[in-house]
Amino acid sequence: MTITFLRHELKAFWRSKNTGKSIAIRILMSLMILYLLAIVAYVGFNLDKILGSKLLKGDVVVSFSGIILLYFLADLFFRLLLQELPTLRVQPYLQLPIKRNLLVRYLAFTALLSVFNLWPFILFGPFIIKIIATDLGGLVALGFIVSLVGLTVFNNYLALYIKRKANLNGWIFLVAAAVTILIGLSDFLWHLISIRNFSYLFFGNLVKYPVLAIAPLLIGALMYYLNFSYLKDNLYLEELGSRRATKYKSSTDYPLLSRFGSVGDLAANEFKLIFRNKRSRSAFIMGLFIMFYGLIFYTNKEMNTEGYKVFVSMFMTGIFIINYGQFMFSWQASHFDGLLVSKVSFVDFLKAKYLMFTIISTFFLLLTTPYAYFGWKTLLIEIIMYLWNIGVNTTLVLFFANRNYKRIDLSRGAAFNWEGVGGNQWILSIPLLIAPFVIYGPFALFHKTDIGLALLAIIGLVFIFTRNFWIKKLEADFQTKRYTIAEGFRTK
Amino acid sequence: MPKGSEPNSMIAIKNLKKVYNGITVVNVPEVRITKGESVGLVGNNGAGKTTLFRMILDLIRPETGQVLLRDEPVAGHENWKNYTASYLDEGFLIDYLTPEEYFYFIGGLHQQSPAHVDDYLSSLTDFFNGEILKKGKYIRDLSKGNQCKVGVASCLLQNPELLLLDEPFANIDPSTQFRLKSILKDLNQNKGVTTLISSHDLNHITDVCDRILLMEKGVIIKDIETNSSTLNELEEYFGVGQLASASSQVDREENH
Repeated sequence: MTITFLRHELKAFWRSKNTGKSIAIRILMSLMILYLLAIVAYVGFNLDKILGSKLLKGDVVVSFSGIILLYFLADLFFRLLLQELPTLRVQPYLQLPIKRNLLVRYLAFTALLSVFNLWPFILFGPFIIKIIATDLGGLVALGFIVSLVGLTVFNNYLALYIKRKANLNGWIFLVAAAVTILIGLSDFLWHLISIRNFSYLFFGNLVKYPVLAIAPLLIGALMYYLNFSYLKDNLYLEELGSRRATKYKSSTDYPLLSRFGSVGDLAANEFKLIFRNKRSRSAFIMGLFIMFYGLIFYTNKEMNTEGYKVFVSMFMTGIFIINYGQFMFSWQASHFDGLLVSKVSFVDFLKAKYLMFTIISTFFLLLTTPYAYFGWKTLLIEIIMYLWNIGVNTTLVLFFANRNYKRIDLSRGAAFNWEGVGGNQWILSIPLLIAPFVIYGPFALFHKTDIGLALLAIIGLVFIFTRNFWIKKLEADFQTKRYTIAEGFRTK
Repeated sequence: MPKGSEPNSMIAIKNLKKVYNGITVVNVPEVRITKGESVGLVGNNGAGKTTLFRMILDLIRPETGQVLLRDEPVAGHENWKNYTASYLDEGFLIDYLTPEEYFYFIGGLHQQSPAHVDDYLSSLTDFFNGEILKKGKYIRDLSKGNQCKVGVASCLLQNPELLLLDEPFANIDPSTQFRLKSILKDLNQNKGVTTLISSHDLNHITDVCDRILLMEKGVIIKDIETNSSTLNELEEYFGVGQLASASSQVDREENH
């Protein structure tokens, strides 16, 4: 039976639209994954040198033992953010004559099949074999490996357990994430505890008594059992799903937008789309995180140059246009037919997009104003790049939107979600990222940066004042592609 | 019924053909529906009903031919949207809005104030049966039947002259089915709304519609005016059809 499950699982993977029909994307995906793996493997193989040279002057084994628990703390945090619950897939089997225990065991087992469980072994494996096995003997090395297995399993099921609980009550997730961050902070910021010492306390003793490796294995097994029994008691659809417990959803309206008539109504709908769906919401939240770019770049002397400022400002004020705009109109795929037959003119539809992008970019611009602390010029560059974003980049994004035929499911998160990604997004990113530098670069080369900046501002403004012209062009372009777009959005 | 007279034409279909992967899914040489008619569209799964609807609404580009609403082609024109309301499936609903927000949006498109919309919705209290308004749910959290109610209600809200509904009876409860039937009859007989409705329920469709179009494999094989013998005629067709191919019937698109 388990074999049948696995076979279905494989079919689900290969036949899902998500996997990407085009080979190019698959190759790119696997290249990226390989690249990440290679980086981690490289770090893993050189861990002895890294630990020996930089961190602590002492014994490499001591510093190695110190970082293991640190790693697993960070690991837990990222799992909480990124690891997916592997649960909803059992739905079609629940009513069939299959034993509950088998289903639960299968669920619990497949939860282990996550890339997250690979990292610790790639990262620490080489060091254990290279240094520990040769210096301290095979038994100690085995102890380390077994401990890694135990801790990985523990983390895996702890993260899933928290996520399952969080499905019923959203606060649990926040509390768990906050606790993880607090533990980290109380080490690095407040120096209240030392995870490194604690980690060394255990692994240092493990060197002497390899039997201790049973302890992590035990807590791993305990966590597995906890998960197993929880799943078994709660094998009901609403508890398994990734849907939160529903609370009363109230209607909202944006009085400011209603002044813009039907364009405003459309923009208001789009704001609701952004904030009421998981994937679009994460695009917005990502934008908030990008606000810290300034702190990273501007505080760094080497990077506090004008060229970097152009780059950083473009991202800070335009990240949402890039991030959300690249999947335009796929966000509305599920009701695109409805839009096409309703009394919405496409010109209004486009105007609403411009309005929405302008409002959000303005919001981000306001958030970045404190960076004036790094000089008024910084603020000026931010404003120039803001003009560029709402002028040029919005139009660019909408031009590519007419060429995007992929449906996306709004309810799924953005992390590792390849749905709706096609060649379009790769091509789009080139002009989006490069265009400002093609204009600014040559002037910077001849130390006439002010002219470069002025040119960027002028082009941005020209695009803003000729919006109606571009809207007309985009509309004519859309009319030639509307059937293809609508059909693409209809195919699930 | 003044068939063929141009000024009263609501829907005119000419040489309409749609081909998918070499298979003709719709092939309608000519159909004319005049203002004020109530037309029912019946046929087994895969007969091409939904595809026909989509071509009437300019959602799919036909291989050949065209659809004219009030003598104006739908493709390339937007006038028809002013007097046409339609609900084919949940893809017509903006599912992250609450029903109220959706109604206000649709009403707003037709220059109706929220107060006007509220006023209109209060006349649908019976139809909603207390399950739609002020429930604190997004449309996506409603059941399929209740989503259908939202879709139909949003059509009615638009005061259409032409109403297209694809299987409106499929997911709703019996009480709502009867209420919907009386609403449709009222619209057609008292307000002169032209209706085109598809259904698998032969009782309902013959009850509501004055004229029945029967589709088979993309072709309209019967075009009959409803009278006392129509139901028998249709039952005979479908009964025989099922006997002949009952074992090979695969329910692909609709959930019945």
